[in-house]
Amino acid sequence: MSHPAEGAGAAVEARGLEKWYGALPAVRGVDLSIAPGTFLTIFGPNGAGKSTLLRMLCGAVRPTRGSVFIGGEEIRNTEDEGWRRRIGLLSHQAFLYPGLSAAENLDFFARLYGLADRAARIEAGLRDVGLWERRDDRVRTFSRGMQQRLALARTLLHDPEVVFLDEPYTGLDPHASAMLRQVLDRLKDGRRTVVLVTHNLSQGLEQADRVAVQVGGRWMSDEPAGDIDPATWERVYTGRVAAAA
Amino acid sequence: MAAYLAQAWAVARKDLLLEARSRERFVAMATFAVLVAVVFSFALDPGVRASTIAGAMLWVTVLFAGTLGLGRAFALEREADALTGVLVSPIPRGAFYLGKLAANLAIVTCVELVIFPVYALFFGLRYAGALGGLAIVVVLATIGFMALGTLFAAMAAHSRLGETLIPILLLPLLIPVVIFAASATQRLLVGRPFSEIESSVRMLLAFDLIFLFVCTAAFGAVMEE
Amino acid sequence: MNVPVDENASLAGTRRWSVGLGFLAAIALVWGFWMIFFYAPTEREMGIVQRIFYVHVPSALVAYLAFGIVALCSLGYLWLRDERLDAISVCAAELGVIFATIVLVTGPLWGKIAWGAWWVWDARTSFTLLLWFIYVGYFVLRQATEDPERGKRFAAVLGIVGAVDIPLIHMSVQWFRTQHPKPVVLKPEGPTAAPEMVQTLLVNMLALTLLFFSLLLARYVVERLSRRIDAARVAAQLRPAA
Repeated sequence: MSHPAEGAGAAVEARGLEKWYGALPAVRGVDLSIAPGTFLTIFGPNGAGKSTLLRMLCGAVRPTRGSVFIGGEEIRNTEDEGWRRRIGLLSHQAFLYPGLSAAENLDFFARLYGLADRAARIEAGLRDVGLWERRDDRVRTFSRGMQQRLALARTLLHDPEVVFLDEPYTGLDPHASAMLRQVLDRLKDGRRTVVLVTHNLSQGLEQADRVAVQVGGRWMSDEPAGDIDPATWERVYTGRVAAAA
Repeated sequence: MAAYLAQAWAVARKDLLLEARSRERFVAMATFAVLVAVVFSFALDPGVRASTIAGAMLWVTVLFAGTLGLGRAFALEREADALTGVLVSPIPRGAFYLGKLAANLAIVTCVELVIFPVYALFFGLRYAGALGGLAIVVVLATIGFMALGTLFAAMAAHSRLGETLIPILLLPLLIPVVIFAASATQRLLVGRPFSEIESSVRMLLAFDLIFLFVCTAAFGAVMEE
Repeated sequence: MNVPVDENASLAGTRRWSVGLGFLAAIALVWGFWMIFFYAPTEREMGIVQRIFYVHVPSALVAYLAFGIVALCSLGYLWLRDERLDAISVCAAELGVIFATIVLVTGPLWGKIAWGAWWVWDARTSFTLLLWFIYVGYFVLRQATEDPERGKRFAAVLGIVGAVDIPLIHMSVQWFRTQHPKPVVLKPEGPTAAPEMVQTLLVNMLALTLLFFSLLLARYVVERLSRRIDAARVAAQLRPAA
């Protein structure tokens, strides 16, 4: 796996990122730079501030201090939302309306993104996740795995350059997990940047180009995936988490 | 601007589609409003001529029924946390607000279309001579009501107190709407000419424009995580 | 994007100002109360109860001043996200509610004699009552969120919306009903009341304004210190865990 020069033309960059909830720190000073086309996995125990970090990177949570850049453009809470078109967020929550059908959900989000060729994109998206036949059924009637596949179609609808994944496997059965993994594998096309956050060591290691560990709101380690031996990784990880405590 | 309105429309369309399917807010609000009318007719002394206080009764009913519905306005955004999906999308916060406002307006207007005939039926009110004037007063007052209501409903959805917060915050701020709408309605109902309520209508219009602007601008500060 | 705040900056200067203003306020209050009881003449029509007006009117003006400060600091907070502006807003809102309560209590005491009823829905009484409710709502809203930062933001939005609504409420209640005694001192064409009355009012106005700023600064110091204590307590809890 080749790594383009760090910093220059980074897909995602963060400087001195901090988030405090009142006097409680969630993220305490994270600097990172992700080259385009990289698949970065961030591991960490519960309460490590991974989700908060991810949500700051995609502009859903405002940092207490520090700044985030998407493709060199600084994230701000202004009306200039160009960078928002370049990102997608998939979480363990589906971000869908259970009272609408699959197609209506995608149509709503396509309108928010101002996409011109809505019908074609919706059809392609639904076929991609194998839900075309169920397009007119309410999302309320979908199983957890189907909802998550539809959520994936929503995330990729506007063809984002950067995809953020926040514990996407939570609550999925093995079959649905395998299906999700297949689609995520296809995201690794060398062009798209993916940031995956998870506490589950069995997911996200084999796809990653780069692996980081976050504990207690701090960045503990950050290394190319090639340096990691999957056989000993669990022991190494547990050691790092214990050392941080 | 066209893109801004298209995004606002997408939000309103989605809310109305959901409401058209479940009808949960409309049914709850309309039932509540009719019940308030029933309660009024039993609570009032038979000696009182209802037509002399109809303006007040109508607007108290609209206000309470509307507040009831506002509590649900953001519930559907939170069900599967669709709100986060909307917030990471490129929709300006102001457009999101205007979309929610438009849907709330449409639903409350439907409820008003039930309230006014029911009051006419129960209390023998006659709107025939003043339909145009009444329509103007109702539309302007409802816009002002929902402009503030949508903003506070969004706050309430993110708070521990939830829907109970809405009337506490909203009612004192809506006193100008109540004063101008109730008095104008009352005058129209007793057959006064429109020229007599012109100043009230102007005040309602001013209230609407001011709060449409302020709330659209302030919505970003409410929606941020 | 965010203004860094030196959380350990000394508040001693602010405290000294508060104590200094407090001394001045105490002197002015003693002087003002002496004037109320021994200097100002008894009003011919309303009698002795009219003297409550020297507390009633300055309290109302101080309450309006407080709500003005809340609005400005709320706007500043949403813009700069400076904790200090939020702290000033809270303190000013608290004092505003207290002074508005004084207005709402002294008003009926006077009204019972002058109007023959404890409560009359005249324009200015209704207006003050509505203000009181808006700013009580301000505190309910602050307490109602899990995340304190969100509570501050919401309260700031209410501070601004409330301030924008105040002129409209004022106009509407004015239009609705006016029974309140017209201003006799602050009329554009010059005061018509006895000069002793005017002097008494102005001294009391000065006294309550000084008292307000002294209390505001004192309350501000307490607010900042209590936030530091909260932060330190959380930090102490985190240390053994992290």
